[in-house]
Amino acid sequence: MKIADLLGKIDRRIIFIVLTVVIVIPLISPIGFVGRLSPRVHDLFKAIDELKPSNKPLLISVDFDPQSMPELYPMLVSILRHSFARNVRVIVMGLWVTGVGLGEEALTTVGQEYQKEYGKDYVFLGWKPGVSAVVLGMGRSIKETFSTDYYGKPIDSFPMMAGVNNYRDIPLLVTLSAGDPGFNTVWLPYAQARFGVRVGTGVTAVSAADAYPYLQTGQLVGLIDGMKGASEYELLVEKAGYSEAFKPASQAMDSQSLAHLAIMILIVLGNVGYFLARRKK
Amino acid sequence: MAIATDLWIWVGALLTLFIFSFLFGDNPLYKIGEHVYVGVSVGYFISITWHNFLYPDLIVPLFRQGNLLYIIPTILGVLYFSIFFPKLSWLIRIPMGFVLGYGAGVSIPAVLQANIIKQIQGSLLSTQVLSRWDSILWYVVSLVGIVCTIIYFFFSRERKGISKPAAEAGIVFLMVGFGASFGYTVMARVSLLIGRLQFLLRDWLGIIK
Repeated sequence: MKIADLLGKIDRRIIFIVLTVVIVIPLISPIGFVGRLSPRVHDLFKAIDELKPSNKPLLISVDFDPQSMPELYPMLVSILRHSFARNVRVIVMGLWVTGVGLGEEALTTVGQEYQKEYGKDYVFLGWKPGVSAVVLGMGRSIKETFSTDYYGKPIDSFPMMAGVNNYRDIPLLVTLSAGDPGFNTVWLPYAQARFGVRVGTGVTAVSAADAYPYLQTGQLVGLIDGMKGASEYELLVEKAGYSEAFKPASQAMDSQSLAHLAIMILIVLGNVGYFLARRKK
Repeated sequence: MAIATDLWIWVGALLTLFIFSFLFGDNPLYKIGEHVYVGVSVGYFISITWHNFLYPDLIVPLFRQGNLLYIIPTILGVLYFSIFFPKLSWLIRIPMGFVLGYGAGVSIPAVLQANIIKQIQGSLLSTQVLSRWDSILWYVVSLVGIVCTIIYFFFSRERKGISKPAAEAGIVFLMVGFGASFGYTVMARVSLLIGRLQFLLRDWLGIIK
C-alpha cells in the first residue's frame, strides 16, 4: 500500500488509541505547559471580586447536566470558592433539571470547606419548570417564583433572603450554560435586556464562539470558555489566595494541549494523503 | 495506587467503560449503559418535578390552602393528555394556543432587544472605541465582516459589481467563523474525554492524584 493510501485510510481505532495515550500520559506524568490568562476570564473574576461581602447575593444558575461536567463543574466549584472565601452570599438555582444534583453537591462540598451556614451564607433554590416564566417571574419576585427552596423550606425563613426581592437585589448573575436554556436563549433576553441584570457566563467550548458577540457589546461582563477557561479561573482563585484545593481543569491542560497537537497532526496527515491521492489520479 | 472501594464509583466506572465500548462497534454492554442512562434521567426528572414543583406549587396551594385559582392552570395542563383520546384530541389546541401566544408575546420583544438591537449598537463606532488604535482596527474588521456577510445572504439581486467581491469576502469571514467554532468543538470533545479519563484514573483506579 502506498503512503497516500495509508494516510487516507487511518483506522479510526488507531486514532482513538493515539488520543487516549496523549491524554493519559500527561495526567500520570505532568509536563507543565504554561497557558496565557485571557482578559474575558479575568473580567468575570474581577466582577465577582468586586461584590461586597455579607451583602446582596451572587446568583448562580446551574444550566448544565452531567454530560458537560468536565468543563462546567470546575467553574462552579471555583466560583463558589471565590465567593465563599470573600464571604459573598450565594443563591444557586438551575434551569436544567439534570443539573440540580450537581449544584447541590458543589454547594454542600464547598460550603463545608469554608464552614458556611445554609440559609445564612447560601441558599439552594433548585429547579422549576417554565424557563422563561421562571426568569421573568424572578424579575418581579424571587420569593413568589421560588416559594420554597430545594428542600421544601419557605424562602422567607432564611436570614440571607431578607431584603432580596428581585433582580434589583442581585448585583451579579453567573450562568454556567451548556446550551438551551442558557445564557443567550434565556438569561440575556429575559434578565439582562429586560431587567438590566449584570450577567457573566461560563460556557462549554462548543458554545464559546456564540458568546463572543455578547461580550463585545457589553451584555456579558465576562466569559469563562470551556475547560481552558475553567483552569484560568482556578489559577486566579489560587493566585489570589482564596483556595489551595485540587484543580481538576488545570490538571487537564497538558492533556488538552497534547490532544490538540495530535489532532492537528492527524488533520495535516489526512490532507497530505488526500492531495497525494488526487495527484496520482 | 488505591482502587476505589465505593460501590457507586465502580458503577460509574463500569458504565463509562460500557459506553466507551461503542467506539469498537455496537454491543450489548453499550445498550445496557444507554438504557440505564435514559431510564435514570427520566426517573430523576419525574422525581424532581414532583418534589420541586407539583407538590409545593400545585398540590399545597390547591388542596391544602384551598386556592381555587390554581384550578385554571391545572385544567390547562390536564388538557395536554387529551391527545391520547382521539375524540377529545382537539382540546389540546387550548393549552397549545395559550403556550404559543404567551411564548411569542414574551420572547419576540426580548429576543429583538438582546439579539438585534444590542448587537447593532455593539457594531456601531463609539467614542470609547476611538480612544485606542487597536480597538479602531478591530472595529473596522468587524464592521467589514458584518456588512460582507449580510451581503452574502442577500439573494434578491444578482451579484455583480461591488456586491460580488463583497459577498466573496463574506464567505471568508463565514469560514473563519466556522473554523473557530470547529476548533472550539474539538476542544470541548477532548475536554469531555479528559474528564472521563480523570474519573477513571483518579476516582476509580487511584493512579493519579
